[in-house]
Amino acid sequence: MTSTITDAADLVPHEPGAPTTGNGGARTSTVSVIGQQARSWTTTAAISAVAIAVSVPVLVIVWSIVEPSTEVWEELWATRLPGMIRDTATLLATVLAGTLVLGTSLAWLVTAYQFPGRRVLGWLLVTPLAIPGYVLGFVWLDTLQEPLGARSVRSIWLCALVLTITLYPYVYLFARAAFREQSQRSIDVARSLGCSRTQAFWRVALPMARPSLAGGAALVGMEVLTDVGTVRLFNVSTIADGVLRVWFGTGNRNAAAELSVLLIGVAIVLIAMERLARGRARFTQSGSRTGLHVERLRGGRAIIASTIGWGVFTIAVALPVYRLITWAIEARRTDQTATVAGDLGFHLMSSLRVAAVATLTCLALGLLLVAGLNRRRRSGALLARMATLGYTVPGPVVAIGVLVTLAAIDRLGWLPDGWLLIGSFIGLIYALVVRFLAVAYQGIESSVGKVSPSVVASARTLGAGRFRVATRVELPLAGAGIIAAAVLVAIDTLKELPITLILRPFGTETLPIWVWQATSESLWVQAAVPSLAIVAVGMVLVAALLWALEHGAETVS
Amino acid sequence: MTTKYPRHLLGSLLVATLVLSACGSDDDAGGDNTDTTADTTADTTTNTAGDGDSVDAGGSITVYTGRHYGIEPVFEEFTADTGIEVRFTTGNDPELRERLIAEGANTPADVVMTADAANIELSAEADVLASVDSDVLTETIPEELRSEDNEWFALSQRARVIIASTERVENPPTTYAGIGDPEWDGKLCLRPSTHPYTQSLVASLIIAEGEERATEIVQSWVDNDPLYINSDTDIYNAVADGECDVAIANTYYLGRLLTEDPDFPVEIVWPEQDGRGAHVNVSTAAVTANAPNPEGARALIEWLATDGQKQFADANFEYPVDPDVEPNDIVAGFGEFSADLAAVRQLGANQPAAVEVLSATGYE
Repeated sequence: MTSTITDAADLVPHEPGAPTTGNGGARTSTVSVIGQQARSWTTTAAISAVAIAVSVPVLVIVWSIVEPSTEVWEELWATRLPGMIRDTATLLATVLAGTLVLGTSLAWLVTAYQFPGRRVLGWLLVTPLAIPGYVLGFVWLDTLQEPLGARSVRSIWLCALVLTITLYPYVYLFARAAFREQSQRSIDVARSLGCSRTQAFWRVALPMARPSLAGGAALVGMEVLTDVGTVRLFNVSTIADGVLRVWFGTGNRNAAAELSVLLIGVAIVLIAMERLARGRARFTQSGSRTGLHVERLRGGRAIIASTIGWGVFTIAVALPVYRLITWAIEARRTDQTATVAGDLGFHLMSSLRVAAVATLTCLALGLLLVAGLNRRRRSGALLARMATLGYTVPGPVVAIGVLVTLAAIDRLGWLPDGWLLIGSFIGLIYALVVRFLAVAYQGIESSVGKVSPSVVASARTLGAGRFRVATRVELPLAGAGIIAAAVLVAIDTLKELPITLILRPFGTETLPIWVWQATSESLWVQAAVPSLAIVAVGMVLVAALLWALEHGAETVS
Repeated sequence: MTTKYPRHLLGSLLVATLVLSACGSDDDAGGDNTDTTADTTADTTTNTAGDGDSVDAGGSITVYTGRHYGIEPVFEEFTADTGIEVRFTTGNDPELRERLIAEGANTPADVVMTADAANIELSAEADVLASVDSDVLTETIPEELRSEDNEWFALSQRARVIIASTERVENPPTTYAGIGDPEWDGKLCLRPSTHPYTQSLVASLIIAEGEERATEIVQSWVDNDPLYINSDTDIYNAVADGECDVAIANTYYLGRLLTEDPDFPVEIVWPEQDGRGAHVNVSTAAVTANAPNPEGARALIEWLATDGQKQFADANFEYPVDPDVEPNDIVAGFGEFSADLAAVRQLGANQPAAVEVLSATGYE
């Protein structure tokens, strides 16, 4: 998915012989090299093993519906379930609409128009990605409590707003990349046919960006569905929150698991909707780019454009960071940081270690799956689906699935005496891979998929072997997309709380754990320092992400 | 052919991964080294006993604790007193219980501590706790505050009481049913039903008044259109700021707020003083059924009930379980009260019913 962000491209009508958009999938496979070949059974076995290993913890959860807890369901249906479904649907619809509008319009603004601050805003508008929703949530909750009152501040609309301003960068990134990939030629054609610039946006640029927007929106949807940190701050009772409610409140793990299956169901519907929104359109790159002509805004219009961009940045990043800094100063002044074991450096190192290892593992396995799975076959598609299931399940549920899985392995006693997977670093990384492999896989897969079949075909015609095509053509073209996917995984793991909380080994205390220690006691002031540290590291990662995207654009053009 | 390049790349990635994980942490597969020991800062690693072999004389113990606020200094004090080192991990009570159950015989945990009676009772029902035969504990801790077969022990109590604005409320309600009076319509603040404090309060209502009456009481709260706030500190602030006039909250948060502002305009009203007493919940500790070091585990709990009792309770402005130990001055300033101790043991068993009542009444 991420790949859409990446490569310079030109929208080309497909050459004869190359697949047309109509039935692109099936025929592309005859050309693109990565992931299509018949291969030795060892590779197939290894890939299947990875896909199965990663899906087991989720399947353990899904297995629970075999013996449904009918009583619990009847009670839930009579009491909270309708409300949960309503809240989930409302939140999902509002945040999807909000992120699509905000992300797309900001992307169009910084791509198609020149105004003061445009270049730096183009970068800054991605930075909300660095701030975890649960941090932004408590900062805004506390900030708005006084002016709005404690009652009206706790509303589903404010929760939707907070989620929108943390999540819009997904859409923004995808949309910006899509707009940048578009050639002025298509806009010119529209203009020459009598469209105004605005009409050209609605009738050409936007429809052409649709597949990318759908990809971004799908990520947003998954994040909203599985969020358990932000919603509770605002008393919003979603299905994911209900899973924890049932499980923690009654100790009935089975019923909680069944409720998460409902969540997986909603996620699958969402993915199907994404497919539908993408339609059968396949826009690939030819390797050259002309780019859109940028219109210079002057006077009042330039001021309005600047104000919109800086306004969003202020609300999403500048104000919350300012608030965190004042809290951090207060915490230092009143010596309120002594409630956790270990200092900032220790927590920072823990976080970096976990994020780095989890990211590299996700990247390696993602590459393996993309390279090895033949998704044109039903079995390949199934394995891919299985390997990415974890992204549709809330973190705490993944953690329990992993706990049960690892416990079973530990009980077999195959490991050397005294070694256990539960509470080990490997166990934690495994769980994070289960949850986030989808992000890496999708990013890599769509990057590779976007390399134009005609480019690959040309290389083959010129006598390059498959290996050569893969290493010299497909991977370099997809390289930036792969780095971008890795950075997204790194940001996700950096912010991750529930899985780390349950499965971390002794001596691993990440920054989000520190935030949790403080916020679970409503000690916002004490949560400021670790929150700022997360934001700081996140900013570095966002910069890396942007570098990867810019770099990708250069290598291709 | 095509699989070559990924193998190449994968190889280097995996090597990088291994190097990273190896240099960062030397217990990849759950060895026994002590990273978060109480007597060292957490970033220094002290390797104690090797894998598998437990304790020589002092040794070390492993604690899973759902009570995490200010717990570290207490463990440090214990280590200084006894020479037994403590490594601990924090978490939410239910999650730590799931981990304990999943680990079974393999658990490294010697002691499990919770912030709540219901959660420890659920662990007892799952047979992961050991019965402890300790004269020290049975003599210090009142019978109502430990489980029937001494599988768990309360170490401190916290009372969940009615709080009221000192500026706007003249005759605050004195029973939990009283806050359901229409007088408080739109003026009531409560904690959401997701929180164990709310669940255990309703469990205590069920124990004392029966499920039917408890449902009526909770319904009357809900009919007052309460403002639900998922933080006791924020509930206190809401009463101070005039968002609501009466609320239900734990006393110890007022302890914290009063240390910051001695004139904080909220008062505590001890409920049910003519009857069963104010609802109390407890922080607990238990020895796990498969503890690698049960002696060390028992030593910690005994120490927390005796020498460490005051420090443990004071760390969070809670009430000691040992009636002979004085509470912290600020806490003592809240006045004497009678507590509903009879319910403590049964809170766990009644929690699922409490959750049902909360759902049925539409409590948020």
